Amino acid sequence: MVDTTLVDFVKALRNADLKVSPAETLEAMQCMNLVGYQDRRFLKDSLSMVLAKTTDEKDAFDACFNRFFTADKFRQAINDELDDDQGSDADNADDFDSDAEGNQPAGKGGQGGGKGGGESEASEDVTALPPTSALGKLLLQGSRAELMIQIAEAGREVEVNKIVVFTQKGLFTRKIMDTMGLKGLQDEIGELQNQNAKPEQQLAGRLKVARDQLRERVRDHVERQFFLHADEQGKQLREELLKKVKLSSLEKRNFKDVQEIVLKMAKKLIAIHSKRRKTYKRGQLDVRKTLRHNMQYDGMFFDLRWKASKVDRPKVMCICDVSGSVSNYSRFLLMFLYSLASILPKARSFAFSSDLGEVTKLFEESSLEDALSKTMRDYGNGSTDYGRMFQDFKSHCMDDVNNKTTIIILGDARNNYGDARSEILREMYDKAKRVIWLNPEPRSSWAVGDSEMKKYTAACHQTEVCNSLQHLERVVSNLLKTAS
Amino acid sequence: MTLKNADKLASVEVIKHNFEQLNYICSLQIATAVFLAYHLGKPILIEGPPGVGKTELAKTTAELLDIDCIRLQCYEGLDESKAIYEWKYGKQLLYTQVLKETLSEILEGATGLAESVGKLHEFGDIFFSEEFLEPRPLLKALKNETGCVLLIDEVDKSDHEFESLLLEMLSDFQLSIPEIGTVKAHPDRKPLVFLTSNNTREISDALKRRCLHLYIPFPDANLEKQIIQARVPELAENLRNQLVTFIQELREMDLKKVPAISETIDWARTLILLHSESLNPELVSQTLNVILKFQEDIEAVDSELQTITNKALKGNQGS
Repeated sequence: MVDTTLVDFVKALRNADLKVSPAETLEAMQCMNLVGYQDRRFLKDSLSMVLAKTTDEKDAFDACFNRFFTADKFRQAINDELDDDQGSDADNADDFDSDAEGNQPAGKGGQGGGKGGGESEASEDVTALPPTSALGKLLLQGSRAELMIQIAEAGREVEVNKIVVFTQKGLFTRKIMDTMGLKGLQDEIGELQNQNAKPEQQLAGRLKVARDQLRERVRDHVERQFFLHADEQGKQLREELLKKVKLSSLEKRNFKDVQEIVLKMAKKLIAIHSKRRKTYKRGQLDVRKTLRHNMQYDGMFFDLRWKASKVDRPKVMCICDVSGSVSNYSRFLLMFLYSLASILPKARSFAFSSDLGEVTKLFEESSLEDALSKTMRDYGNGSTDYGRMFQDFKSHCMDDVNNKTTIIILGDARNNYGDARSEILREMYDKAKRVIWLNPEPRSSWAVGDSEMKKYTAACHQTEVCNSLQHLERVVSNLLKTAS
Repeated sequence: MTLKNADKLASVEVIKHNFEQLNYICSLQIATAVFLAYHLGKPILIEGPPGVGKTELAKTTAELLDIDCIRLQCYEGLDESKAIYEWKYGKQLLYTQVLKETLSEILEGATGLAESVGKLHEFGDIFFSEEFLEPRPLLKALKNETGCVLLIDEVDKSDHEFESLLLEMLSDFQLSIPEIGTVKAHPDRKPLVFLTSNNTREISDALKRRCLHLYIPFPDANLEKQIIQARVPELAENLRNQLVTFIQELREMDLKKVPAISETIDWARTLILLHSESLNPELVSQTLNVILKFQEDIEAVDSELQTITNKALKGNQGS
């Protein structure tokens, strides 16, 4: 029982985006055996050390722990452990009476305040008249722990942990109540109400109150399960969707989610690519290593070892069209590039709609959000002029382009029938290591209307359709791969 | 796992109390971590801002148990020859020379190449035996007879490759040396391992999975007061409260590097040297360089000095 509780807890943690390995689950079990259930804080601290391994995860863990081990569950777990310890059981029962529902006469008499004066003597009578249905007995005579166990078991039976969306709450509440024998209770209440005798009427009333309270409690249970199991699943579903949706059709309210996803993707890419290192045959001679390594050649130094190891990262120049039609795409490309700052330290970025301006500094100095909105404000207006942009680039930055530079251009290449100046792009193509053009429009419309994509394609190493986060991720990942 | 003085780690409260005896004031979480590390036999990875007592925890534990503390300071380029073992190649070269001279004696009576080679083989691999092995911190910790605390400091400064080297050590408490074989720690004398990290880069999941993870944040006001009291007992209570309130205020500000506990302690000592009895803006302004380490931070704080000092004085009166 205890073990399944832990396994369920780990499941809930995984749902909350914590990476918990089976080995760590086993450790958590060892840890639980060592620590025990008596001290809630102690247990929480201990489990948090075994299961949550970053500060973010610790926060998520805290929330999850509090939600999962609500006071009920915790007591239940203690009960499991102290199965035959009657004293503590009684304590729990008292606890239950005093918290949250002082107005439910628990069949012990003496507590029936709030229902008028004659109640206290009547309650003696009522205890003499026991309810007949199973659920009624449980409600009026069973302990809270028993009731919670019943609810949990009924929940398991109807597979409440498969709840996915919010609107299913009512359905599952109903299902659990049914499984617990609601029908029997209803019948009993109806029967009692048909009889005119006072004790029957009173019992019926009390059963009704108990039933309503039970419904509340079951709803709470379902809600908890929903938060534990479905909330995150729903989020994952949404994330998957957002990754695939066209960036231009994203709405402002989704930006926050998307930003989170971008950061996540960037983190993944950093983890993959920051490990690629090359040992370069340049730098300082490592005397010790060389000596040691060449001993097998009788001390002749012919296999030299070097101290320096160099990380080879692409020098990226990113030119983004920020005019109305493609600004959203640029926004997320820039966001992506700057989230990768730790492995792409040399990224320079330019924004244009007609005049080209460098925004590298802006991104270095202010937060991502600010920088993005400032860029949009300063460069976002005006009609697109690619010819002008290329000219500006030539006069300002062409000297900085060398055979290690990767140039990424993001834009729809719609030039309003202006001069395309594709010869400058050609020049860039000759000088740079790679020129990549990302176009949000589908390939079929590249040659339609005022699009100059055909001309530009000839002067690019690579052209890609790029209109969703998935595309973006692929492009950036390839960029890092070809670099190292 | 049994170490001497193990009873000092019997429960969380005992640990906390014992640490306090050694002037290391810790939260329950820290004590819990040490408790678990010992009883589960697992390393602890300690993260947190600089100066909150990560390294100190390892040292204090060693002191408490009265065992050695073997320290391995990590840095970029650290490799196995500095962390695990190295061959004494100077000695090896010397012995090669000696062998060269006595070669004819050894080979005496051997006829033919095969026999000579056979005779040479009898020497075995003496050049790669323990005699020629120079143990480095990790190997030393494994071989320690009485058990020890192994402190791997600032593991985030090392390379990714080094992290992988650590894995075998951390999960099984053993190290493989190709020429000799596997060196294992005595099952009852496993070293108590502490790793510290300042989070300059993400530690790999593989490493994290093998460790308990403890995050030490900046202490709250009460804990910090206790710490100052333990470390700088001569400081008057009045001034101590002002000092801690002031530092807590600073941590709320947007600074390049916020002052840590070690800086608070330094500052307390400074104030004692200056025989100050109460904080005032002038005094603070003069001693600000003890707690703030960047000129821009000092400038930022300097402009708001009056407000913060007043807050510190007032907050103190209130309590």
